[in-house]
Amino acid sequence: MRSIAKTLMGAAAIGLVLSGCAGDSSGGDGDTQTLRIAYKKADPVLEQLMQNTKEQFEAANDGVTVELAPIEGNDEDYATKLALSQRSPDTAPDVFVEDSFKLRADVDAGYVLQLDDYLADWEDWDTFNETAKQAGLGDDGGTYAVPLETDTRVIWYNQNVLGEAGIELPWQPETWDDLLTMARTVKAANPEVVPFSMYAGTMQSFYELLYGTEDGTLYDEDEQKWVTGSQGFTDSLAFLKTIYDEELAVTPAEALDPNVWQKIVGEMLPQDQMGATVEGSYAPQFWQEGADYEWPEYSEVMATTPFPTQDGQEPGAVSMSGGWTLAVGAGTENPELAVDFVKTAMDYENSLAYTVDASKIAVRTDVAEAAEYQEMNPFAAEVTEVLDVSNYRPATADFAEIDTAVLTATQEVVAGGKSPEEAAKTYDETLLKIVGEENVVEK
Amino acid sequence: MVSTSAGPRSSPTEDRAAPAGPRVPRNRVRKAGRLLPLAPAVVLLLVFLGGPILWAFYGSFTDTGLTGASARNPEWIGLENYRSLLADPLFPQSLWLTFLFVFCSAVIGQNCLGLGLALLMQRANRAVAAVVGTCVVAAWVLPEIVAAFITYAFFFRDGMLNQLTGLAGLPAVDWLYEHPMFALILANIWRGTAFSMMNYQAALNDVPPEVTESATIDGAGGFARLRFITLPMIRRSIATNLMLITLLTLGTFTLIFVVTRGGPLNASTTLPIMAYEQAFQFGDIGYGTAIAVVMLLIGAVFSIAYIRMLRERKD
Amino acid sequence: MADVAAPSLPSTGRTAHSHRTPAHRRKAGRVSNVVLLLFAACFVLPLAWLVSASLNADATYELTAPSTLTLDNFGAILNAQQTFLPLLNSFLLATGSALVTVTAAVLAAYPLSRYQLRFKRPFMYTVLFGTCLPITAIMVPVYSLFVQLNLLDSLGGTIFFMGATFLPIAIWMTKNFMDSVPVSLEEAAWIDGASSMKALFYVVLPLMRPGLAVVFIFVFLEGWGNFFVPFILLFAESKQPASVSIFRFFDQYGGVAYGELAAFSILYSLPVIVLYIATRAMGGSFAISGAMKG
Repeated sequence: MRSIAKTLMGAAAIGLVLSGCAGDSSGGDGDTQTLRIAYKKADPVLEQLMQNTKEQFEAANDGVTVELAPIEGNDEDYATKLALSQRSPDTAPDVFVEDSFKLRADVDAGYVLQLDDYLADWEDWDTFNETAKQAGLGDDGGTYAVPLETDTRVIWYNQNVLGEAGIELPWQPETWDDLLTMARTVKAANPEVVPFSMYAGTMQSFYELLYGTEDGTLYDEDEQKWVTGSQGFTDSLAFLKTIYDEELAVTPAEALDPNVWQKIVGEMLPQDQMGATVEGSYAPQFWQEGADYEWPEYSEVMATTPFPTQDGQEPGAVSMSGGWTLAVGAGTENPELAVDFVKTAMDYENSLAYTVDASKIAVRTDVAEAAEYQEMNPFAAEVTEVLDVSNYRPATADFAEIDTAVLTATQEVVAGGKSPEEAAKTYDETLLKIVGEENVVEK
Repeated sequence: MVSTSAGPRSSPTEDRAAPAGPRVPRNRVRKAGRLLPLAPAVVLLLVFLGGPILWAFYGSFTDTGLTGASARNPEWIGLENYRSLLADPLFPQSLWLTFLFVFCSAVIGQNCLGLGLALLMQRANRAVAAVVGTCVVAAWVLPEIVAAFITYAFFFRDGMLNQLTGLAGLPAVDWLYEHPMFALILANIWRGTAFSMMNYQAALNDVPPEVTESATIDGAGGFARLRFITLPMIRRSIATNLMLITLLTLGTFTLIFVVTRGGPLNASTTLPIMAYEQAFQFGDIGYGTAIAVVMLLIGAVFSIAYIRMLRERKD
Repeated sequence: MADVAAPSLPSTGRTAHSHRTPAHRRKAGRVSNVVLLLFAACFVLPLAWLVSASLNADATYELTAPSTLTLDNFGAILNAQQTFLPLLNSFLLATGSALVTVTAAVLAAYPLSRYQLRFKRPFMYTVLFGTCLPITAIMVPVYSLFVQLNLLDSLGGTIFFMGATFLPIAIWMTKNFMDSVPVSLEEAAWIDGASSMKALFYVVLPLMRPGLAVVFIFVFLEGWGNFFVPFILLFAESKQPASVSIFRFFDQYGGVAYGELAAFSILYSLPVIVLYIATRAMGGSFAISGAMKG
């Protein structure tokens, strides 16, 4: 079968070359060197970083052309298109922006260049935060990517709403029950208001809960096995069910809409229609001057508090972190140049400008200490502190599919009328199917 | 009679070997030369349709991945993908949703509405027919991605449909969340009816007016005329139209991908969406290809049934 | 061609002499007019959002009468990078694939229409079979094929693939059109010493022009609007057609520039709507099944 296909393809290739339509291969045309950089078009701050770096890099390296190859679409589509381009040496980018939780799978696939040797003599590398560096590790312990940014998740609450309901400010919940108490109090005081929102259309909320339970994790890093039958999983689903059943959150339909955050940050919070929501550390980016949902008073009205663990157990608070990294393609013809590009992009000035503009959490300690960073918004220090209790999602090849299975479980509970136990059981079954019996551990 | 024994898959290289242009009549070279014009089409079809179909069968027996270790070294895993497919609860659901989508939006919706409109346009004022035709066709001519955004805006929670039903005093319904298939089916009827309508307009134009005329004189009522004269006369058009819209609808991807992405909770995950999700989003190209093979087989069943029907009618 | 089987009428018809009067017919016509216009309204209604949002500075997915009409949304997108280049790429994809399809189909249709070929029927049925394949289903293998052939991110490769997908339907249509051109005209040309290809080019093709235009425009319309194929096969921003680049109006958190999205959609749709109206005005028809039936 294979040889027939090969023959066919050969014939086709000849035909296409004859008609002058074969794919144009990039790079390798002698005296000028070209680097192709893939990144998300949808992120204007990232776009700015790449434009600036291109300019600096071309000025510093004669004869080098940086070809920016931004990709349209949301994170999901970006990941898909990046992976699609990586399979062919002709289209694989030299440098690419990579979601940290996709990195290990791409390392396994042989798409990513190991960077240890190239980073060894880079002084700046020592200024990178150790936790953040973890995001760039492959399964073999080698470094495959330089972190670009990270974030944390905290509770953002509206002090007007909570104050009117008679909640003592600053509000400092220590357990899940404290969250429910607040929500019920606010609802009783003003039924028009949505007391407490946790998204169900993305996974952040659920993991925020799960990682704050006693046995709470998806993946046992020590044993390198996936966890089934965890009580924490069921409890987390049950908590979500409670807030949706008691109508303490937005409606299930809204919760499942991936764009509901626009209504929350754009309307409900500014108009005192919502008590609190779990949102990324970058939330001020929505409200700052010139932003889409500009709200001059946000710094007085809003306040943050870390998300509590289930019963207040150590370390008392929990957060989930995402983050993007810069990686170099394994097939690049100019590994030195490509790594130099990464170093330029992540030097002090560029990193500082990017981190502040995007309201992200600094990955360089010198950036974290810079005055511009600490003053970028009134919440910078608080949300950065949470990094200590923050968790990264497991970065295995099948995580995207498992992520979807978790999402399905939460949605079935929030909107599908299933009990937490049933949904957890379905998840366990799906998980088994995805990773196989040998990769699972029962808790 | 040309006596080359070449079948439909006659090798393009063989054709190319023959010198172009007919010179000496009735020799082998000339006979082969006559077939030369077929070569570009045959090459294109073999490479871009035949090749992928062969690859689909091959790929569905491997664990080829988009990323991860199986991207580097795909392995032959036999029927494993098909076995998982049969055990996957999403698969029967997808099949059912695909059937629902095709049957309701194409076979019933587009087909009947298209025929109805074409019949009405025959009786209507010419100017009205032209205006209406353009309105209906506008939805069909629109780029599919634009049609999908319009659909989203129309059925959105705060969108136009709820604004309209709100005027009538009805409560707002979250269409895309509560009835995603209903919304998608309506959208596909909206977008695709023009295709059937144009086919039926042309078919009805071919019906000689004297036939219906004489039936009218014979006293056949409107419905009887339709049932006993018009429909039987255009039945070949009906069959062809049904086949084309069934297969176009079977492959519908963009509309669903943009409007619901198969959600919520896979409530609108048809086979094309499932294949895309598995292959490109979860990176399991082998499994996604197995789903593609199932779709190809469904298409094949339809087309064989259709071809048989055509042959019977002819003989 | 349509087989005219004379159906038997209900025998009661002959005695009841109910000749329809012109008044009857006019009434039926009026009812038809009203019903049709209602349907037309339903079909145009969803487009209302597109128009209103494109003229509204604060557009959302809601249908609102803009407080002040503005052309700012159009102004904001009228530049090479956002609009003209993607539209040019769409044009290249659509024209290229239509040319590929029509050329290959005309060449193939000639021997199929003019010569007695032993394999003609099996060939035509195989092609018909190809018409029936859901192209979506082969996108996963096509991607893998393009990886093997190093054709990813190549406009040329994408054009040939899109052209090939419409080839089966185009061969059928073209052959039917060609069948209806009398062979006697070519025979005259042959006597004058023209080769068969010359006869095809100078005698047959001019007579088939309306039919070929329909095939060309049909493929053009499909190529212009196609999203999935370029989405999977093209990567470079500079090669993206409008159907893919339209996602630039969504920001990374899913926020949407509704007004600009609507304005862009209108600019993207107008050429094909104009093309359709022009085709109709020249008497072309997209009744594909009429051209397809055996």
